[in-house]
Amino acid sequence: MEPLPQNARLVRRAYWLIRIRWIAITGVILATFVASRILHISVNQIALYCVAAVLTVYNSVFLILLNRAVKPNGERVFSAVHRIVSVQISLDLILLTVLVHFSGGVENPFMVYFVFHMVIASILLPAWESYLQATLAVCLVVFLVLLEHHGVIHHYCLEGLLPKCIIGDKRLIAVMVSVFTTTLFMIVYMTSSISVQLRNQEEAYWQANIQLKQKDKVKDEYVSRVTHDIKGHLAAIQSCLEVVINRTLGPLNERQSDFVGRAQHRTKILATFVRTLLRLTQMRLSDKLEVHEFSLKEAIADAVSSAEARAQSKSIVLTTAIGPSVDRIVGNKFSIEEVIVNILLNAIKYTPEKGAVEISAVDKGDCVQIEVKDTGIGIPADEIPRVFDEFFRGAKARKTERDGTGLGLSIAKQIVERHNGRIWVESTQGKGSTFKLTLPKTPRHC
Amino acid sequence: MGSMKILIVDDDTDITDSLKAILEDQRFSVATAADRAEGMEKFKTESPDLVILDVMMATWRDGFEMAREIKSDPESREVPILMLTGVKDKSGIDFKSTAGDPTWLPVDGFLDKPVDAEVLIAEVEKLLARA
Repeated sequence: MEPLPQNARLVRRAYWLIRIRWIAITGVILATFVASRILHISVNQIALYCVAAVLTVYNSVFLILLNRAVKPNGERVFSAVHRIVSVQISLDLILLTVLVHFSGGVENPFMVYFVFHMVIASILLPAWESYLQATLAVCLVVFLVLLEHHGVIHHYCLEGLLPKCIIGDKRLIAVMVSVFTTTLFMIVYMTSSISVQLRNQEEAYWQANIQLKQKDKVKDEYVSRVTHDIKGHLAAIQSCLEVVINRTLGPLNERQSDFVGRAQHRTKILATFVRTLLRLTQMRLSDKLEVHEFSLKEAIADAVSSAEARAQSKSIVLTTAIGPSVDRIVGNKFSIEEVIVNILLNAIKYTPEKGAVEISAVDKGDCVQIEVKDTGIGIPADEIPRVFDEFFRGAKARKTERDGTGLGLSIAKQIVERHNGRIWVESTQGKGSTFKLTLPKTPRHC
Repeated sequence: MGSMKILIVDDDTDITDSLKAILEDQRFSVATAADRAEGMEKFKTESPDLVILDVMMATWRDGFEMAREIKSDPESREVPILMLTGVKDKSGIDFKSTAGDPTWLPVDGFLDKPVDAEVLIAEVEKLLARA
């Protein structure tokens, strides 16, 4: 089963966090360089570069841990990713405090950067954990300010940037720490409430989607059973009619023969429809596609020879142009040949007598593009988006050919997409249509 | 050819009866059976010259198994089997003709259901002539 959306997002964001940290490390190095060498601000350069080095080390460690946690697919893995993200944010807060200490303490404008971690935590972690992270940040800063204020640790005054040090001013630092604290908690509160709402909505959509898929499967199974039964009865009806039509049991007069003939014709149409519907449904129900390496060139040649008789009966010129390097691909030969025959027969069906149908195949690197071009009646622009829909039949198409099922192109689309390929049509009404499809040479490409 | 005997095995009596009518019209002698057990019994008692076998009976392996049973017995392996199927065109299974292969289907010909009378007669005559 595919992972819950928030789990999938957690993994994506975990990598994103690591990428952002690489940028942050570069930022720390550059800012330290600019502050000390260009702006001549008194910061502890060595300590700051050391922090950047520590960041680099633990970012690499987390990347390795994350890669290990993500490989297999199971519930425990996501909890590992969750832990990694959580620990990373806490470590980031500690290192940011150290960084702030060596570059001016509470006076450092980069204090604002704590906000980023609060936003990230609120998006990725449950609300209570985000509040915990905010509490950690506040404790760290208060602790730092107290130690610096009481002179337990050195306070780096930002000489060259600020007119004077404020660490001795109790009231001012109290105000600053209060503002800092409320800002962090407010941000966690706002971001968490929005992201919890989004997460719930996302999960509701996800659940609804799963239910729809299940219902669709139930429908397919139902259709499959019904059509299978109908198919059996139809075969029996056809078989019995055949006895009468064949005059096995005695001669028929002209009118009898006419009506039995009509019944046989309609049964045949219904049988084709049922057989096609069954094929489509069974294809949708089966999860796997049996693939093997085969010659596409041969498959096209076979398809062309199955369609040849139909083309000849309408005096349609059927030509083939296959690129020299088009040959072996991996796929289901039977299905692909079916797609090509389907499209060829369609082209012939909707092309007036003495027209032309051309099939071509071109090597496009990772995939092969097949085109079937005809000089037929064409498809009106407003019908083009729907030609691959199940049961859809264009108004003109219906006039030209009464007995189509409206399923042939749906099957073709289903098969091509199962092969990770694409199928589409370009058409000018009155001039003809070109059906194009791409098939990857190996299942994953293209 | 008129005296040749044909055994039709299919669980759908409408199919067996209609095929029987068509074949009897061609002066073949026809026996029918509705399942694999009855089919094998009639195969032994009637000693047909040709068997028409539906691939899907009670289970979809029944036709397969019966064909294998007939073809693995040295005494009956020469009897041609004509398989009626909608399976080949539906599943794309490429039936193999070698014993031991999971898709080994030792039959001499296939016909798609429903069968056209002329096609059926032509195929039956072809197989009988070959045998």
